[in-house]
Amino acid sequence: MTPAPGRSRTVLVLAGLAVALVLAIIAGVAFGAVPISPGEVVSAIAHALGGGERTLADAVVLDLRLPRVLLAALVGAALALAGVLYQALFRNPLADPYILGVSSGAGLGATVAMMALGTSYMMRAIGVPVGAFVGAGLTMLLVVRLASRRGRLDPTSLLLAGMAVSYILSALTSFLLVLDREQMSSVVFWMMGGLQNRSWEHVASLGVMLAIGSIAPALYHRELDLMLLGDERAGQLGVSVERFKMLALASASLVVAGAVSVSGLIGFIGLMTPHMVRLALGPRHRLLLPASVLAGAIVLVVADLLARVVLAPVEVPVGIVTALAGGPFFLWILLRKERM
Amino acid sequence: MSESGRYDAPSANAAATAPGALEYVRASIGYGARTIVRDASFAVEPGEFVGLVGPNGAGKSTLLRAMTGGATVSSGDITFGGASLVRMPERERARIVGVVPQTQLATFSFTARAYVEMGRHAHLGRLATPGAADAAIVDEVMERTDTARLAAEPVDELSGGDLQRLTLAQALAQQPRVLLLDEPTSHLDLNHALQVLELVRSLADGGLTVVGVFHDLGLAARYADRISIVADGGVTPPAPPASALDAQVVSDVFGVRAVVRTDPVTGSVAVTPIVRGADLAPTVTGLRIGLVCGSGTGAGLMRRLALAGHPLYAGALNRGDIDHAVAEAVGAGMAELPAFGEVDDVIAADVRAGYAACACVVVCETPFGSANLPNLQAALDSGRPLVLVGEMDDQRDYAHGRAHALWERALERGAQRVDSEADVPGALGRCSGVEA
Repeated sequence: MTPAPGRSRTVLVLAGLAVALVLAIIAGVAFGAVPISPGEVVSAIAHALGGGERTLADAVVLDLRLPRVLLAALVGAALALAGVLYQALFRNPLADPYILGVSSGAGLGATVAMMALGTSYMMRAIGVPVGAFVGAGLTMLLVVRLASRRGRLDPTSLLLAGMAVSYILSALTSFLLVLDREQMSSVVFWMMGGLQNRSWEHVASLGVMLAIGSIAPALYHRELDLMLLGDERAGQLGVSVERFKMLALASASLVVAGAVSVSGLIGFIGLMTPHMVRLALGPRHRLLLPASVLAGAIVLVVADLLARVVLAPVEVPVGIVTALAGGPFFLWILLRKERM
Repeated sequence: MSESGRYDAPSANAAATAPGALEYVRASIGYGARTIVRDASFAVEPGEFVGLVGPNGAGKSTLLRAMTGGATVSSGDITFGGASLVRMPERERARIVGVVPQTQLATFSFTARAYVEMGRHAHLGRLATPGAADAAIVDEVMERTDTARLAAEPVDELSGGDLQRLTLAQALAQQPRVLLLDEPTSHLDLNHALQVLELVRSLADGGLTVVGVFHDLGLAARYADRISIVADGGVTPPAPPASALDAQVVSDVFGVRAVVRTDPVTGSVAVTPIVRGADLAPTVTGLRIGLVCGSGTGAGLMRRLALAGHPLYAGALNRGDIDHAVAEAVGAGMAELPAFGEVDDVIAADVRAGYAACACVVVCETPFGSANLPNLQAALDSGRPLVLVGEMDDQRDYAHGRAHALWERALERGAQRVDSEADVPGALGRCSGVEA
């Protein structure tokens, strides 16, 4: 069912996913209020790279559509990466940043930062991601603590604790917003998971956080495999379990914080994507990690495309699209008692 | 490991871990604030196989888990070649100590080969992928554990026994100097259990240090060089099976009356549990029954009667006779003879008195020779009612017709005859005039 991934197969799978991602991005840029042909998309990118005269279509592509679509890709990648990490560390196929409450924690942290730091651009650019990271990290520690009994982490308790904490933190966020009515509508829309009006700065900010957060998982993919055998067994086979967990959870918190601070709460990408990839490619993280990252990017680019076209010209927040697809998926796994 | 079966420790590790013993140094081990084993102090020599036995919950697994961080060493230390295994970084430790845990959940669909290959982790550089040398090691350990044919199977679809052997293969892929086994055969059928233990035995003979937890005392005695008993929060120093395990130890530690003897086939200590001490304790209320037995013909009946609450007297029995051991196990009275010793007049009088104190005497389906014929004579002379099991024929009479003669006389005096042991309880009721 899952033959040992040979090197050529790995390359083939990843190349295929990369091509699919490029096609999804071109499609994502082409669709919208003003339709732009795929040829125009490519030529706009070529103009941007090679210089030369910019047309109106170029401006739409480069200033409006491309940053948004690339951001969708990065957010999808970040959430999928976090999902892979949580599922391996907790040996729980239902773990994802949204369900564990980490996204809500990042959301609260980002909201507090926004309100505390005022409207200065630099303060926001640095402060919001930092606030989100602190919120995500503290929430993770809290949820793990709540779900642990005598050093053991019960999978069901973990999900329940995550959901309970998630509700509490979302309520706290709403409470803060009621206090500060001026910001309410924009923050609420952000919290619902939207990708509107995003700029290249957002792309850069998340890109950096995703790159940093990817270092440890890329270097420690074998440790992730071993973690699936259980903490004690992983330790017996040579993993410094506690240190590795902290490192991996910090990486996950970082990429979740990056995703939440640019796009609010987008659920279920971190749950669905690693799961589908694991079913298709097996549990080895050497392939599962990069494939999930690419697939997460594809899924969110497509979801964002749907969010823009189903009710056009009205735009649905992409978080609603992913929740509509992800909720039933979650139930499906729950009923299947899915293995890793 | 080479083709000859000798266990070659990886040369890269040889310098770091000079030849040395595995040693528990006054180690107190537990979980959190709870101490399970106190002051464990013993050493295991290189190439030695030490078995840990003891009742459930006594801390056998805890002793092993302490070595790899699964349990906490609150004081003392566990060392290999003088270096503390407790404080050693996991990666370094995993190149010295391989573990086969009692259970390994498989909720992931790695292939069996990928699963075994995980044992190479501690030997691989950060960015390295398993190379040809690693592949050769994985192939070899899978071959030796009889799992090579499973290589492409997902482990979550395999049986518990297959997974247990794959976990052994995974531990061997670590090329450890010390192998810890926590009931390594708990999920294995007889064939694979022996295969795994033979393999571990041969690895130990090749220089691997092995510590194994066993539930089966016979397997422990057969494969381990020395045995330690883990009970009441302590560990006895490892001793050869024949001296570590005797009926008294089995009774004290496990609360089971057992026959402990040298198995004539394997030459190792064999433990046959007869009856739980707890079942036996309140059972001195029934009629006293005498038995004329020997060579194991009384074993089943003694066990059954002892459980039913009868005090027993088994006549003169030679040490080394299985009935002697069983009589000892169930606490039956007897006149003990040295191996191949014979009954003299003093003992004969003693035995006669022993039978005379019984409500009745059962003559089991034993062959009679010069050694146990006096028992039959004494039973007859005691004047108690007799129950004769089976028929007397030439196959049973090695005493040149004398057994036959005594048998006939017993029948003339009104002894009951029953066809088999199963009929004895009914006959007892009649012979004593009371329900047995």
